Amino acid sequence: MKTRLIAVALTLCMIISLASCSNTPTDGTSSAADSSQDTSNAPTAAPTAEPIDISGVELINAGTLSIGVEIGYPPFEDFAEDGTTPIGYDVDFAKALGEKLGLEVNFINTAWDGIFQGIDVNYDCVISAVTITEERKETMIFSDPYINNFQAVVVKADYTGEINGFTDLDGMTIALQKETTSDKLMKDYVSTGTIECTISANEKVTTCFTQLTNGEIDAVVVDSTVAAAYLASDPDKYKLAFQDESEPEQFGVAMGMDNTALQTAINKAIEQLEQENYFEDSVEFWFGA
Amino acid sequence: MSFWRKLTDIRNWKTSSKAAVILFMAAVVLFSVLSFINLSREEMMESASDQIKQIIEEEKESTRKYLTITYNDLGAVSYLSFSTSGAKAIRESYVGFAGRTYNADMGLAKFTGQMVNYTYRMLGKGENMLHGVKLTLMLTTLSMAIGFFLSIFLALGKISSNTILSKLCGAYVFFFRGTPLLIQLFVVYFSFPIFFNFSWRGLFSSTDPEAVYKGAFLAALIAFSLNTAAYCAEIVRAAIQSIDKGQNEAAKALGMTYGQTMRTIIIPQSIRRMIPPLCNEFVMMIKDVSLVFAISLMDITTISKSIMTSEGNYLVFLPALVIYLIITAVLTFVFGKIEKRLSIYE
Repeated sequence: MKTRLIAVALTLCMIISLASCSNTPTDGTSSAADSSQDTSNAPTAAPTAEPIDISGVELINAGTLSIGVEIGYPPFEDFAEDGTTPIGYDVDFAKALGEKLGLEVNFINTAWDGIFQGIDVNYDCVISAVTITEERKETMIFSDPYINNFQAVVVKADYTGEINGFTDLDGMTIALQKETTSDKLMKDYVSTGTIECTISANEKVTTCFTQLTNGEIDAVVVDSTVAAAYLASDPDKYKLAFQDESEPEQFGVAMGMDNTALQTAINKAIEQLEQENYFEDSVEFWFGA
Repeated sequence: MSFWRKLTDIRNWKTSSKAAVILFMAAVVLFSVLSFINLSREEMMESASDQIKQIIEEEKESTRKYLTITYNDLGAVSYLSFSTSGAKAIRESYVGFAGRTYNADMGLAKFTGQMVNYTYRMLGKGENMLHGVKLTLMLTTLSMAIGFFLSIFLALGKISSNTILSKLCGAYVFFFRGTPLLIQLFVVYFSFPIFFNFSWRGLFSSTDPEAVYKGAFLAALIAFSLNTAAYCAEIVRAAIQSIDKGQNEAAKALGMTYGQTMRTIIIPQSIRRMIPPLCNEFVMMIKDVSLVFAISLMDITTISKSIMTSEGNYLVFLPALVIYLIITAVLTFVFGKIEKRLSIYE
């Protein structure tokens, strides 16, 4: 039995080393041509998609864009019925990005807690419905935004009260996902003494909606895009009470401070995708309207 | 009586205990003096910059405030910070110690300030019983007490000659030891309300803002008690069966009933043998309690993790470790004393 195990292990080792062998040439060229990045910045303004020069980009695994993502945030990232295939708006976007850059795409499922600490350690970038904030910009850099998002309040369908702003949540019990923009926003309302409400901070956004269904809480504060997806799938369970149109948030790809080469490449890819109306179609597909 | 005489007869104390008491008293006196001369919140607010003072004045009347004032008082040291939300992001922090205020924006003062702030949050000071250390301690102690009580019956049931009872208790232990605690917690908190059509929050007053936490706490208490009962049942069973069979037979020969034998002979002796594994279970429980993160309760681990993600500061784990060690040390000490006390029978 033991010898058979060793044999299997050896075969695996060989396969892995073979696979990494095929990657080495790309790695060689990428580190050699560091200066070519300047030329790629030249204004070409080609209307048709032209291959984006990624020779200056250093990746953890050459030829593969490793992406950190917290899978479990539908409709941005979720597992399909089979339980292994990641699907969602972000996943599609990442694949489109990979196609534009000529890179393989590798999704690395990770917990939201500490997701940014993994940049440049476990993956090259994070595409996981990350809101671009000034605070985050101090420790990471962002691509151009790829979707707009608002903060929304979702209540049970039979809720009769009226909510016209976050201050109307005063005295209520609300749920939100830990360490998200919703969390920061509501904690801010509470810590500054603007309103008083009980916050149930959860690891997963699905927990918040289960709590709402079970009657543990009165309202969920969540990204409008996520709210839209829940409302679409369960229209007789939930309804949208309020959406804060005044402060739109933008989602971007988060990268390590020094990875400006990747930032330039991704921004270029986003620009091209925009010209091809990719985003309009994808938003339509994932969020309806 | 002799206990008190021994305690008050200071002249005959061991030198080591004398030294320990003197050191302890000195620490208490020092701490109280430092706490007494330490600045109050109002006094510390004086040292805020003009800019902050201006914002406080401006926001007095407004409905949407942007300035967060944090004041953490840990007796001898206190921490005060001002931070604004939004793009401006003004941040000012101060540490109060020995009647003076120090700016805590950098260096050692910053480190001290952070530690005070983190410790304060983990201790759950200024919050109710369902936060931080208080939550950990309460949940552990209560579920251990309930679990141990249940486990005695489970153990007796399992060794009983009644086959049905014995099989039922065996099945209970098998089920709760064979499934992960986290999933048991999920089932109790999320699935039970659906099966039986109630809400955990609904069990408490609807006007109570903390009802959601109380509901979650109750669910956690039930899950942890049921789980730990299964583990304790095995500990109790092993302890009972480790008592020499001859004692059972002797009791029978004296005409004692099964109940009498258990109550007066077997169980009192087996308790001493349960102590070490029970202490083990208790210590494990303290750390298992961190699973309550899944149902939105904030224990020590959850709080330190949330500080780590929002501030990116890994130093937060230092106070967390120290707090855990102190709890475990006290617990081990107490169990050690109990074991010594009970060992006079052996």
